[in-house]
Amino acid sequence: MALEISLDDRHSKVELVKKDKNFVEILVDGKLYKLDIIMVEDGVYSILHDGKSYNVELIEGETKKQYIVNTLYRSFNIEIVDAETRYQLSRNRNLLGDDQSIISSPMPGKVVKIPVKAGDKVEAGDTVIIISAMKMESEYKTGKSGVIKEIHVSEGDTIEGHQMLITIE
Amino acid sequence: MEYVQFIFFSNLCDLFLKQNPVMIKKVLIANRGEIAVRIMRSCREMGIRTVAVFSDADRTSLHVRYADEAYHIGPSPSLDSYLNIEKIIKAAKQSGANAIHPGYGFLSENPEFVKRCGRAGIIFIGPTAHSMSIMGDKITARDAMISAGIPVVPGTREAIHNEKIALKFIQETGFPVIIKAAAGGGGKGMRIVTERSNVTAKLRAARSEALNAFGDDSVYIEKYLESPHHIEFQILADKYGNVVHLFERECSVQRRHQKVIEETPSPFITSELREKMGQIAITAARTVRYEGAGTIEFLVDKDKNFYFLEMNTRLQVEHPITERVVGVDLVKEQIRIARGEKLSFKQKNIRQSGHAIECRIYAEDPGRNFMPSPGLIKHITNPTGLGIRSDGYVYEGYKIPIYYDPLISKLIAWGQNRTEAIKRMKRALYEYKITGVKTTINFLGRIMDIPDFIDGNYDTHFIEKNKDLLMSRDIRCDTLCEDIAIIAAYIDYNDKLAKLQSFNQARSNGNSRWKSYGRKKNHVRI
Repeated sequence: MALEISLDDRHSKVELVKKDKNFVEILVDGKLYKLDIIMVEDGVYSILHDGKSYNVELIEGETKKQYIVNTLYRSFNIEIVDAETRYQLSRNRNLLGDDQSIISSPMPGKVVKIPVKAGDKVEAGDTVIIISAMKMESEYKTGKSGVIKEIHVSEGDTIEGHQMLITIE
Repeated sequence: MEYVQFIFFSNLCDLFLKQNPVMIKKVLIANRGEIAVRIMRSCREMGIRTVAVFSDADRTSLHVRYADEAYHIGPSPSLDSYLNIEKIIKAAKQSGANAIHPGYGFLSENPEFVKRCGRAGIIFIGPTAHSMSIMGDKITARDAMISAGIPVVPGTREAIHNEKIALKFIQETGFPVIIKAAAGGGGKGMRIVTERSNVTAKLRAARSEALNAFGDDSVYIEKYLESPHHIEFQILADKYGNVVHLFERECSVQRRHQKVIEETPSPFITSELREKMGQIAITAARTVRYEGAGTIEFLVDKDKNFYFLEMNTRLQVEHPITERVVGVDLVKEQIRIARGEKLSFKQKNIRQSGHAIECRIYAEDPGRNFMPSPGLIKHITNPTGLGIRSDGYVYEGYKIPIYYDPLISKLIAWGQNRTEAIKRMKRALYEYKITGVKTTINFLGRIMDIPDFIDGNYDTHFIEKNKDLLMSRDIRCDTLCEDIAIIAAYIDYNDKLAKLQSFNQARSNGNSRWKSYGRKKNHVRI
């Protein structure tokens, strides 16, 4: 079965040629690898290739198709790109109109202050919300000028990462 | 004859103290995180029972699981739990602990807490409230040091309330100067002033920040040393006036005035300077009749002039490198001193052996200006092996709370010399994998590769100076190693798909899973 797999910015085509227990022949972007791959711990694979030993850790990301992959020196974001993923990607792109932007939280924390209210006019660079996490306060600024359409949280709320905070129109 | 009697008497005194020290049977640790666990380890080795206290957010924290006993002390915010003196005293009373170890941060440098322990008949493992108060306020500390003839950075002796005094001082010393909060620490309330036109605005900003952070708007002005080294001396003092220093720690790798990496011995100072600074550190401790473990911080300029900066009247985050190189367990020494024992060694008995480096691992995202990154730890691979110590507190499945410090762990590498220590640290940082939250592990690994660091040629501007190298992406991996990672993901994903398919097939055999559950549950046994 051929799959498209993305590693950070790189997109590759991967196809399994032959599999006999842990002995695998596989094509990555047309290059044939013959290797011995075996899962040694939950999510950890030992791979032997050309006499070299690799210990690779796989941690599932937010969906079952996303992985964080650790090798000895590097850590990669890897995603299986199938039809569903492509569809999701194109949908997300169209979800927000050009005239709207959403401020979301990059990390969990607590809302300290919201110096704006719905209906306020804001300029690009204005602080719209202050979040505290781990003894540090961070100010979030809007990248676009516009009008505050909706504030989804209140001061004192505990918030999760990637939560919608403020919609600006 | 009299002489013999005196010797006999003093030996008897020693014997009395050694055989009848105050008993410490159970210690309450008024802290959380890695330091609480670290203190409990030493207690356990000494046969002392340990009591943890915890907030709502910390029910599943490792210090609670590791302790012999644990008491809930309130809601998650520190003010309502770890900073609440009465709740901690109450937990000590309930548990029957007769001593409290404060760790670092929280109440560790609060003289009111020390007094409150005294009134409750609980031994505070640390200095007296008196020496803590003198050293806790930067202005009184400077005063005490000046009186003892210890060099301090030229600066104002009193708190500055108006611009005139500030300008007068600046005229005498010249620019640049630094405005600091008297009650300060951690880089808050600090402003560097390089021009006359900025004085008023910067003074106002520093005072308002100090008021917000510490509830006190007293500030003072010091000459600003350009490219200084931050070097501190560990001291130990018993209740009988015996004071030793355990050499220095070089703490110049800093970001926003926060230490990132520490090492000992310092690659910057000479053995003569070490000797001289060590003696001054001892004098500083004696001046305030210090008891316990403490740290004297110095600024050292490029011409190797050194100035007293401040004293930390507690155990430091970076204490393990001293322990590793000197071979002394500082927590055990703190407890022995609190029990009223004499120091068991003299200055001449201790020396530095090899080289130790500590890296602080924070839950922060270096790619996004070191934004805090709390959250769920999915997977950890801890580094091990010769010369490695890892002092941490998180485990797989633990959710790092949003309320406290982002420090996850401290990685300490020891080597016979500095080169070996750096290579070992690099090796250990490669082994160390934490996923689920963003950490500074890769950032620290890059520091081990920077020529200025390898050469020991760095000061407090190191990170700023090497910003481009530090922020660059790793290029250590070639296509081959990327391909291997992709193959692993492919195999894992296909396995998952195959499992899901066989599961679905089993389901579509005409057997409802509810039916099979109903049939099974009547004869299932565990």
